[in-house]
Amino acid sequence: MSEELTMPRLSDTMEQGTIGRWLKREGESFHEGDVIAEIETDKATMDFQAYEDGTMLRILVADGESAPLGAPIAIIGAEGEEVPDDAPAAASANGDGGAEKPAGEGEAAEPEPQTEEQAPVATATEAAPSNGAPADGGGLRASPIARRMADAGGLDLRTLAGKGTGPDGRIVKADVERALASGANAGPAAPGTPQPPGEGDEVRELTPMLKAVARRMAESKASVPHFYVSSEIDMTRALELRAELNEALADSGEKVSVNDLIVRACAQALLQHPQAHRSYVDGHHVYHAHANIGIAVALDDGLIVPVLRDADSKGVRQLAVEIRDLVTRARDGKLRQSEIEGGTFTVSNMGMFDVAAFSAIINPPESTILAVSSTVERAVVRDGAVVPREIMSVTLSCDHRACSGADGARLLQTVKRHLEAPTLLLA
Amino acid sequence: MADVTYREALRQALDEELDRDPDVFLMGEEIGRFEGSYKVTAGLWAKYGAERVRETPISEEGFVGAGIGAAMMGLRPVIEIMTINFILVAMDQVVNHAAKIRYMFGGKVGVPLVIRTPGGAGAQLTAQHSQSLEAWFAGCPGLKVVAPATPADAYGMLKTAIRDDDPVLFCENLVLYNLTGPLPEDGDGAIPIGRAAIPREGTDLTLVAHSYTVQRALRVADRLSQDGISVEVVDLRSLRPLDVDTVAESVRKTNRVLVAEEGWSTYGVGAELAARLQRVCFDDLDAPVERVGQAEVPMPYAKPLELAALPLESKIEAAARSLLAECGL
Repeated sequence: MSEELTMPRLSDTMEQGTIGRWLKREGESFHEGDVIAEIETDKATMDFQAYEDGTMLRILVADGESAPLGAPIAIIGAEGEEVPDDAPAAASANGDGGAEKPAGEGEAAEPEPQTEEQAPVATATEAAPSNGAPADGGGLRASPIARRMADAGGLDLRTLAGKGTGPDGRIVKADVERALASGANAGPAAPGTPQPPGEGDEVRELTPMLKAVARRMAESKASVPHFYVSSEIDMTRALELRAELNEALADSGEKVSVNDLIVRACAQALLQHPQAHRSYVDGHHVYHAHANIGIAVALDDGLIVPVLRDADSKGVRQLAVEIRDLVTRARDGKLRQSEIEGGTFTVSNMGMFDVAAFSAIINPPESTILAVSSTVERAVVRDGAVVPREIMSVTLSCDHRACSGADGARLLQTVKRHLEAPTLLLA
Repeated sequence: MADVTYREALRQALDEELDRDPDVFLMGEEIGRFEGSYKVTAGLWAKYGAERVRETPISEEGFVGAGIGAAMMGLRPVIEIMTINFILVAMDQVVNHAAKIRYMFGGKVGVPLVIRTPGGAGAQLTAQHSQSLEAWFAGCPGLKVVAPATPADAYGMLKTAIRDDDPVLFCENLVLYNLTGPLPEDGDGAIPIGRAAIPREGTDLTLVAHSYTVQRALRVADRLSQDGISVEVVDLRSLRPLDVDTVAESVRKTNRVLVAEEGWSTYGVGAELAARLQRVCFDDLDAPVERVGQAEVPMPYAKPLELAALPLESKIEAAARSLLAECGL
């Protein structure tokens, strides 16, 4: 009996997946547990393992193409088995290789259900700002002329969401006319007003990861009330400690970075300040028992945040080893799903870019994120004398629903104290 | 010039074409001495004689075939089929021969044939004699299909059909025969095939119709105007070729469109227009294309049931109001 393989749910926030590549081609057989495909989710590239022994009969979603959760992506069965005539046809015409295999008699007109399923999923994920036809999916129903008039008039149709007077709340021409007449489009262009690409500009689809970043960051900045606390930390002694540690570890090949020390300081501080280590979730505060610290890793064109679990219970050496491993695999796209979720705090370090100061966007449901800038040698006053010290500027972004300004300031104070008296990091 | 009936307009056009071109002749059942079941050929047998106004037996397949042969040899026959219901026995001649001969003979032989025939319903003629089948033929390449709604159009388009070098199905309507209207006062009055007309301009809704349904549409537009609703009526006049441009231009103005027809909606004129309009006017639509046609049943005999099945003005008006209500009007 042949059966359909469907797009699996590989992360909590995943709504569709992209086939990175098939490792089993049509006609190839596999055993239970074999990796048959690599699937890119919004967060990571994951291995897709066979649940049982079988043979790949037909690939429905080709390498590089996407499908919503639960949509058929391949048909498997016994070796030499024929694919039944009522099996789904390949989802896309622009695939390569196996996906081009023609469907059986009478199936030519059948791909609609898949494309219909796909459209709303893709759009629900990426609430696109344009008034263009399918881009706002089920959330926004508007007649074509209403969309066109809104675009021409610089009106963001989302401002009329839920106010349409057509069937099932469809926004119709009359609604747009009223909105335009009432000046709803006055003032600066709505943030979603699309700009036509200029000459020579290139328009590209976002990768699943960039779409997820765009969506999550926009949601965070729009819904989380951010405030910011900044400080300057004297890193002179921390740098000395690092040099000393690395000298001592030289033979082992291990290395400790400034960032490892910062993560250690944060992990310690978080446990001391439970009010700055809790999440606001649906009207409740969730107090975190362990400091799971996300390390923001910049990719060529993207961003991923591997999470170091239980950082509070790990010493500097262990932290250093684990962080290095996570960062290396993050850059190679080899993180497991469990390694990019469950964070309670994030460190975003741009010290290597010679930045004086910046602030970061909170990664919900986390309630705090520390933005770390470059450490520079500066003239400072100590005990009445001007001396050169290594100064690092940091900014803590806080969700005001989870913690107050004082909570944030206390957390930052402890981080600063541990880095300025770094033997505490070893305690 | 005084107003004339649709019937008289057709008669005058036949008379003038018989007079103008000796190759034109008429053929059909009872069209001579009896002057036709609906008197469209009144006086023509007396004027032109039995050679050019030829009576036939009840044998549609035979005399349509004879007309095709005559047309292939260079004459211009105008055949009357008593009602469109009887064209079915000549289907092979119309669809398989008249429509295809020019294509199958390398373009060297055409069929300059006109088939005149009325459709329509409403007189309790029941299932077999109440049909409006023009959409079936409008789906057939090789045919032209026209369905004028006014005396002037009937007059002008019949002349053009007779002068056309390819077969034209000329659809009349039993209820239209007594409709009166003016004819052009001077000139030949010929009207090109393939161009829709706009008998009434409006801004809120485009109401598309052909044949007798145009008259219904105009009355619906009158009624809606009393409520401040401005309806533009488009009279297709020709179903093949179909003047989508004129309809689309109207829809771009009104953003809403309702297609009414006397035949069944399924696979009908409204279906074809909906398909074309969603392509060329997608971004102009404020609501889905709506259509009204005969109920999807063979026409019942009982009067209350016949009324329930017909696409009456009340149904067109209700569909128009419902569509406009969807748009907040």
